[in-house]
Amino acid sequence: MSDPYDVIIVGSGAGGGMSAYALTQAGLKVLVLEAGRNYDPSSETPMFNLPSEAPLRGSSTPDKPFGFYDATVDGGWEVKGEPYTIAEGSEPFMWWRPRMLGGRTNHWGRISLRFGPLDFKPRSRDGLGQDWPITYEELAPWYDRVERLIGVTGRAQGLENTPDSPEGCLQPPPTPRAYEAFVTRGFNSLGIPVAAMHAAVLTQPLNGRAACFYATACGRGCSIRANFQSTTVLFPPAMATGNLEIRANALVYQVDLDRTGKAKGVTFVDRVSGEHHSVSARSVVLAAGACESARILLNSKSAAFPDGLCNTHGMVGRYLMDSVGASASGQFPALENLPPTNDDGISVGHIYVPWWGYHLQARKALPFPRGYHIEMGGGRGMPSMSLGAMLSRQEALSVGDALREDARRIYGSYIGFAGRGEMIPNEDCYTDLDPEVKDKWGIPVLRFHWKWSEHETQQAAHMVKTFLEVIDRLGGTPTPGYQTDGKKAISRGGEIIHEVGTVRMGHSPEDSVVNAFGQSWAVSNLFVTDGAVLVSSPDKNPTLSILALAWRSADHLAGLARRGEL
Amino acid sequence: MSALKTPSSEPYVSRIDRRTTLAWLGGAAAAGLAGGAEILAGPVAAAPAVVAGQDRHGYGADPKLTRPQPPPWPRILSKAELQTAALVCDFILPASSDAPSASSLGVPDFIDEWISAPYPDQLRDRPVILDGLRWLETEALRRYQTDLFNAPPGERSALLTGLTTKPSDPALAAPHTFFRTFRSLTIGAYYTTKPGFRDVGYHGNVALASYPGPSDAVKAHLDSELKKLGL
Repeated sequence: MSDPYDVIIVGSGAGGGMSAYALTQAGLKVLVLEAGRNYDPSSETPMFNLPSEAPLRGSSTPDKPFGFYDATVDGGWEVKGEPYTIAEGSEPFMWWRPRMLGGRTNHWGRISLRFGPLDFKPRSRDGLGQDWPITYEELAPWYDRVERLIGVTGRAQGLENTPDSPEGCLQPPPTPRAYEAFVTRGFNSLGIPVAAMHAAVLTQPLNGRAACFYATACGRGCSIRANFQSTTVLFPPAMATGNLEIRANALVYQVDLDRTGKAKGVTFVDRVSGEHHSVSARSVVLAAGACESARILLNSKSAAFPDGLCNTHGMVGRYLMDSVGASASGQFPALENLPPTNDDGISVGHIYVPWWGYHLQARKALPFPRGYHIEMGGGRGMPSMSLGAMLSRQEALSVGDALREDARRIYGSYIGFAGRGEMIPNEDCYTDLDPEVKDKWGIPVLRFHWKWSEHETQQAAHMVKTFLEVIDRLGGTPTPGYQTDGKKAISRGGEIIHEVGTVRMGHSPEDSVVNAFGQSWAVSNLFVTDGAVLVSSPDKNPTLSILALAWRSADHLAGLARRGEL
Repeated sequence: MSALKTPSSEPYVSRIDRRTTLAWLGGAAAAGLAGGAEILAGPVAAAPAVVAGQDRHGYGADPKLTRPQPPPWPRILSKAELQTAALVCDFILPASSDAPSASSLGVPDFIDEWISAPYPDQLRDRPVILDGLRWLETEALRRYQTDLFNAPPGERSALLTGLTTKPSDPALAAPHTFFRTFRSLTIGAYYTTKPGFRDVGYHGNVALASYPGPSDAVKAHLDSELKKLGL
């Protein structure tokens, strides 16, 4: 390695990948440090592989919690030798970490929804949470650029706080599947609009990438580069500039400062050799994921920052948020015996239900202040071991030809509903360093504190109520096991894997850790470009916004470098 | 409910390939197991659950996905137990006029792979399946003075049919739970194969130039169903 670099980027997921793309294009010499191993989607993705080729038919196990073929490498809810803890008295919290180049962009759900104008001004809207230091209008051009670069499906629909993209940004959405056409009629009859999904999957070729061929689940990754992964969309052009170096297995745990108080580089442990190294640069970008970026800051202690870098006001690790989740499913006689069709499509839903209750909340007609959207799954997807459970819900267990008939009838007749809702930041949800527990290299680990408030549990209850209404409207039977009590229905903290907000941006050092460009108030050449900077956690899945914010921050950083102001 | 169309008259021949056999023999040797016979004789021990990436018999957190290796854990079913499992598999899914039987697709070996695995879900099913297989043989001996394989097909079918409904006899509660679990595993294993895909009507996993959406026949069917619902 040849330091000093212009920029060291810690992490290679959405935030790190986009920062690397933008900064190398701007001519800066960049080093990306990734904690996990190198990963090559073109040779490592199990395209078309069948469940029957995998151990246990691909079922999920503690080694591969999202199933054998999930793209995640060396991670999941636990990473060997790298624990985290939950504070005494806290509600549960789960933290999903891969250890691979591209991070969670390799397996993510690809749902790519813009935050809307109201989402940037939540406190102005209802007095809760905090307003962002930017408006939707300021971020909109960056959303445009991201959509044109990565490829996102969708269609302008004119729905409140659900922004339409300018002409030429979006790719045509795929036709709804049979069950999606069916469920749309159910929602519409309840007065709830349904929209085309915005998914980071190509339906037309783009920048040398092939369009989706409508097979093989996106969660496995994509060797033909038809969906968005940092490793397939951002790193190849960044590498082609000649300005990028990537070092894998480099677990960064500390930002190093020079005598003037500016960042001079970072220190990491090589996860294979166990050796510690320091590397220097004119600026540092943290994009290790909201929680890991906070951990690096908290572990970067010095005389000037005894409680962790940029933590003078005790805000690093605060305002930790996730999305609210709740789910239910139903079995629909109307879908039985549909002529068999190929329902694979773009693997993610072709439709979704944007939040429809803004007007109700404006007049306080709902017992929760913020909205949620609904994602659905169903149809004749590739059979899995779960078919056995679906066919076990009968009094007399059929066998032989009767069982074969039951299987053909039941398969494809289920629809699952999942709500994803906005959580309001609260004082009880944060992360700090565990005073005792360390990882296998002796580095203090994160301790999580979590407590849902009524804003979220009431919302989760409403989600389930809505699911039951639409299941009933469509003549279906809800699958046993659903919960109508919001406290029981709600997901665990972190379970939706949308953790954000630990290093939030704001108007001043008193209300935030970084400014509107992700630039640290305390250390001017230190930036954060992952989900840590989010001020609120709207129901819209965060990745598209992380990409837009990271590009905007990297563009600002490049401008400072160009003008010699770093 | 259909009766057995093709009662098993041939002994079950394991469908696992040589690669797999070598892998699990290696695993069994490493674990110090001579085979599954002892397990049939003794009480079923619940092995400790594997923690992510930490058990030498799990496949770990970074298995090769494009060409999966055979599961590394040793298999625990004896030859006799595998034979009993095959009979139950083919009671659940015998060959039909246009689809193969469960045993011909190697489902008994999959059941073995499943209950031998070192993970929590599978460890939960292990004693249920092992105790159930043992119960079946004990019961066949008691009722017909022979093992299940040599019992007359009609008698064998009657014994298994008795497990398909919730029993009033508390002594049959555990065997019924066994059958429910075994059937669920058999269904999952069967329909996740290519012949299973064909039988259940899964038409995906093929590259398409464009996504056509539902056909006119599907739309017509949906429209008539929606009309019935007043939509």
